[in-house]
Parts: sequence; C-alpha cells; structure tokens
Amino acid sequence: MQLDPTVITDSWRLFVEGTFVTLQLSAMAFVFGLALAIPVAVLSMSRYTALKAVAIVYLAIIRGVPFIALVFIVHYGTAALGARTPAFWSGTIALTLFASAYFSEVIRSTISALPPSQWDSGRVVGMSRWQTLRHIIVPQSVGPMIPPGVNVTIMMIKESSVISAITVGELTYQGLVVQGNTFAPFEVFITIALLYWAITLAFSQLAQWAERRIGRSQKSERPMGGIADRYLTLSTRRPAA
Amino acid sequence: MGFDLSYVLAALPDVGAASLTNAWMAVVICVCALGMGIAFTVVRSLKYAVVNAVISVMISFVRGTPILIQIFLCYYVLPIVGLDLNPTTAGILAISLNSSVFITENFRGALAALDDGPIEAATALALKPAMIWYLIILPQLLRRTLPMLVSEGTVILKNTALLSVITVAEGFRVAQQIGGATFRPFEPLIAVALCFLVLNLVLVGLGTALERRLILKGA
Repeated sequence: MQLDPTVITDSWRLFVEGTFVTLQLSAMAFVFGLALAIPVAVLSMSRYTALKAVAIVYLAIIRGVPFIALVFIVHYGTAALGARTPAFWSGTIALTLFASAYFSEVIRSTISALPPSQWDSGRVVGMSRWQTLRHIIVPQSVGPMIPPGVNVTIMMIKESSVISAITVGELTYQGLVVQGNTFAPFEVFITIALLYWAITLAFSQLAQWAERRIGRSQKSERPMGGIADRYLTLSTRRPAA
Repeated sequence: MGFDLSYVLAALPDVGAASLTNAWMAVVICVCALGMGIAFTVVRSLKYAVVNAVISVMISFVRGTPILIQIFLCYYVLPIVGLDLNPTTAGILAISLNSSVFITENFRGALAALDDGPIEAATALALKPAMIWYLIILPQLLRRTLPMLVSEGTVILKNTALLSVITVAEGFRVAQQIGGATFRPFEPLIAVALCFLVLNLVLVGLGTALERRLILKGA
C-alpha cells in the first residue's frame, strides 16, 4: 500500500475550511445549548409535576432519537412548517437541541448532588429560594460542573460530524468531497480523524488548564500498594511510597 | 406542505420492520462491546508497559474522533489492508470497538472503588487470577456499572442509525427511502423516531428490571 500525500496537500484548503466550519458549529451550539439547558434544568427540578413532565419528555426525545434522525427532522421539519432553513442553520439548531439536553442533565445532577441541607440553611437565614440558588447553590456547583461539561462538549464536537449528512460543509463533509474526487479513502479518513483528534485533545487540555486555574481539580486516587492493586489498578506507574 | 399523520402511519410498518435490524445489531454489538471491554480491562490490569501504552493511544483516538469517522475507517480503509467486510460487519465492528473503549474506561473508575478484602482473601486461598476475575471482581464490577452499561446500550442503539451512511438497510435508511419515493421526507422520519423511542424505552425498562433484581439479590 502506497500513501499518496498529494491527496491531502492538493486540497488542504478544503480541510482548513471544514475545520473552521466544525469549530463554528460547535461554538454556536455550545453557547446556545448552554443557554437553553438552564431553563430545561430548572423545569426538570420543578416542584410541579406538569412542568417536570415537559422536561422529561423533551429529554427523552432528544436523547432517545439518533442524532442523525434529529438533524433530518429539524431540516425537513422546518421546511414542512413553511420556514425552510439553510442547512447550516438546521445543523446548528439540531446540535443546540442535542447539547441543551446533555448540558441540562449536567446542571441537574450537579445541583442535586449537593446536600439538601444547603437549601435549608439558606432558607433558615431568611433567603428566598431564588437567593439561596444565587448565593449558595450556584457558586458551589460551577466547579464540579466543569469536568462533565467538558465531556458533553467533546461529545458534541464529535457529533457535529453527522451534520455532514445534510451537506453542511464541515470537516467530515469536506473529507467526503475529497474522497469522492480522489478515491483515496485511507489518506482522507486518516486526515480528518487526526484533525478531530487534535481538536478534541486541544479542547480537553484547555479545559484541564482552566480547571487547574480555578483550583478545583480533584483527583481521587485510591491508597495503593496492596495485593488487590494487581487487579484493581490499570496504571503501570508505580505509586510513590 | 404541512404535516400529515396518515403518512407517518403509512410508513410505520416498513420502518418498524427495518428497525428490528437496529435492534438485533444493537444486541450483537452490546455483547461484543462488553466482551471486548472486559478483555481490555483485564489486559490493562496485567500492567505490561508497552501493551498499556498502545491501548491508551487507542483509547485516546477512539474517544477523540467521531464514531462516524470510525465507521468510515472500518468500511473504507480496512479493505485496503486486506480485510474486506460487508457493511453490516464493518459497522458492528466499528461500534463495538467504540463502545468497548468507553466501557473499559468506566470499569477503570469502578475498579478503584472495589474493596481489597475479598481479593486478598482469595489470594490467600491461592485462587488463580482467572478465578479471582471470574468469581470475585467481575460480578461486583458488572453490578456496580450496570446503570452505565444500560446507558451505553442506548448509545449503541442510536449509533446503529449511523450505519445508514454505509448502506445498511436499517430503520433510518428505510425511512429516507420512503421519504424519497413519496416526496414526503418529514413524516417517515417521525415514524423512525418513534421506533427508536420505543426500542429505547424497552432497553431502559429491561435495564431497570435487571438492576432491581440484582439489588434484591444483595449488591
């Protein structure tokens, strides 16, 4: 097998363009998705059954339907309702819905992991529910939300590749174009895989750096050095005694 | 154009039948992914530096790239290195590999939380490592990670819809074909979405029942 680097070098522009569109899609879905996740999380924690049911149904649909179907449903659905959106916006809307569901679960599970006494203490010193949320619950929750939030973001960046199916010119789509022109699947798919890998690695490095800056990095290591560690640890590094 | 429920109902029988393809592929993939996930975990616990380094690069690659690209790699690139798979097999391989990586990473976290005592006792009784894995570690590990395994199952089920891009005739592809033939692309998509919701409900229901049973038996 012979690798042909000209396949990549001849169409490097398409790959750069595609990477840019992928980043653009992900950035927009991150911002809009997070904004939409907050009301969804509030609904899912509501005391009223009807409001809670709305959130539960929304989450079940967004997380239960394959993302590729969601993308097409948004794309054809807006057309069926008479408001045909350009593919790029259909993709952005679909990715936003996807991100909002997973972000809202991060918000909900982080907040409900706090001891309930935190809410009670707020009420005891005379704060309203809203003030308790604002001054006691939220400040404690932002740090723990970062690691699962990063995971959701990386998942979302990867999922954006599916939007290629409605001909949005992001990285995967450009790769398929080049592969159609050159019939060189090996070079093309390895290249786009490496580009995605670079994007997600860079993002997780950035997130780790941010986490260290905030000083919330909590690594729970088990105390090591027993017989059982032969089975229970997968790391080859010897622990410092 | 509007929305016409009768087209959803008309598409439902064919789409539903094709969705059973998704269901059986998901079952096969769940079994393969769990097996591979366990195998990776056991191999990593042996702590051969070179082997673990190779596995960790693979884990990083699989976690850092889209499943869609991994499906393309299995379908278009493996033939070049002499492994020519049909679309269904290539897809099952790609999704199994993908999920096994997420499973072994989850196992890693759960292993660290297991109690040392039973393993030390088993070692003192001179049980062979394979027996320790089979009798002591795996039962606890699978029980503790069951919720995660169920949610990985739903991810697997949803990922099978991506195999439409490599021409596997599953529910989503059939819905697209019906949409193309009737010029009503939207309604068959609603039909296939309903099928996936039902399959997911069944899966989550089975998972919950299993969890309850195992907790009753004393987790």
